[in-house]
Amino acid sequence: MTRLFSHFQSSVGSKVLLALSGLGLVSYVIFHMLGNLQVFEGPHALNRYAALLREMPILLWTARVGLLGIVVLHIVLALQLSLRNHRARPIGYAVRRYRRASVASRTMAASGAVLLLFIIFHLLHLTAGIIDPSASDRLDVEGHRDVYGKIVHAFQNPLIVALYVVGQLGLGLHVNHAVSSSLQTLGLEHAALNRLFKAAGPSVALLVILGNVAIIVAVFVGIVR
Amino acid sequence: MRFTLNIWRQNGPNENGRFISYEAYDVSPRMSFLEMLDGVNQGLVANGEEPVAFEHDCREGICGSCSLVIDGIPHGPDRGITTCQLYMRRFPDGAIITIEPWRAAAFPIVKDLVVDRSALDRVMQAGGYVSVNTGGAVDGNALLIGKDQAETAMDAASCIGCGACVAACKNASAMLFVAAKVSHLALLPQGKPERTGRVTAMIEAMDREGFGSCGNQYECEAVCPKRISVRFIATLNREYRRAGIVESALPNASESPHAESV
Ligand code: HEM
Ligand code: SF4
Ligand code: FES
Repeated sequence: MTRLFSHFQSSVGSKVLLALSGLGLVSYVIFHMLGNLQVFEGPHALNRYAALLREMPILLWTARVGLLGIVVLHIVLALQLSLRNHRARPIGYAVRRYRRASVASRTMAASGAVLLLFIIFHLLHLTAGIIDPSASDRLDVEGHRDVYGKIVHAFQNPLIVALYVVGQLGLGLHVNHAVSSSLQTLGLEHAALNRLFKAAGPSVALLVILGNVAIIVAVFVGIVR
Repeated sequence: MRFTLNIWRQNGPNENGRFISYEAYDVSPRMSFLEMLDGVNQGLVANGEEPVAFEHDCREGICGSCSLVIDGIPHGPDRGITTCQLYMRRFPDGAIITIEPWRAAAFPIVKDLVVDRSALDRVMQAGGYVSVNTGGAVDGNALLIGKDQAETAMDAASCIGCGACVAACKNASAMLFVAAKVSHLALLPQGKPERTGRVTAMIEAMDREGFGSCGNQYECEAVCPKRISVRFIATLNREYRRAGIVESALPNASESPHAESV
């Protein structure tokens, strides 16, 4: 057990945990986006879906606690590694030219920090309703919580729209490098599949951004109301 | 040709360094970068000044001694070559060129552009060896190795240990170097007896020396004079996972005789 523990304490071992926790978060982000896209099916579908999630409190709270655990693990490991990396080059170069390292790959800590701020804001805003109490819970005609109405109310505000779009850009930048990188960290590499692995990050990032921003824009321009 | 050089000068490991500007005159486009610096140093010596210290040995791209960051890129603007194989025809006449040492906490500066890369040697000592029986030499080709496997092992083995991968990495990580060494030996039958312990020991040594962690940014591959592929980093990650599984089943062994004291 101590062997296994020290295995994951090395720089390479902690990257494996970082990759696994990150991929867990990526799957959640995709699932979350697909669920939200039901906005386009109207208030009935979305509110029913939201109610369905709330009807299973055990599942809901397991998922919430699990997600929180994964996020905390991810952030602690990311901080540890960033600290190690920072110490590894105390004095930088006067002139620096990158040839291959993408902007996304070099700004993982920054995009991660933007993401963290956005997640906190998002939870306070739509989950807890603290940031904008004017959209407090109402019930729809079927007696479900009116999540649909909450979303429509939120994204009519240009400031909220701007903050969400910035959050999505941070998410896109992070995931763009993260997915392909985690495949390499897990040692997945094959001559026939490498192009697929390389495309995985940008594709997932694009998918998630398009899906989420579509909702925001649709409400803002009044397609969804 | 003539050039203006901004060179990092530092008297010793614990001194403060700074950039000093020098002019290089009468440079032939056929000169290598190091020959151009030789010329500058001759001028300095003639004036009674201290010549610029830089490392070099073979000057034919095989020893891994030369180590300059030229205009922000380790080994300079050309791909797949060492600094000693970079020629002045590559630069426009009159160019201003900035020359810095490899920068990493694990590579302390000895003087000017010379850094101490013995951290890489200590990583090698931790596991980059194979056991060989004493006695009569084994017949050549007694051990059959598939062509593909031999070629892949050779691709990894061509690493000359220059440390440009560390210098280029934003995190000053030595993953490409360690990946090349581990992959090379893991692919060959001679490397099998130590296969499991090697990868763990070398990664522990790498962490102990203060190198950063790999961010899969692949800047290393882009500057490696031997064009070592980052797919060996994936191989290293797989080897490490395999070692984790195998070792977690082993009883706690006594200290390896090759382990370093921390
Ligand atoms: C929805 C939230 C998030 C998702 C989906 C996510 C996903 C990922 C994934 C898959 C990786 C790749 C691991 C690898 O390179 O092998 C990663 C790396 C990383 N993440 Fe996140 N992450 C999230 C939030 C955060 C947050 C909030 C932070 C920081 C405060 C953060 C900081 C980092 C850092 C620094 C890396 C490491 C980069 C490296 O060493 O290459 N992430 N993330
Ligand atoms: S992997 Fe390439 S850049 Fe790194 S030490 Fe070996 S030869 Fe030099
Ligand atoms: S001096 Fe030997 S590789 Fe450049």
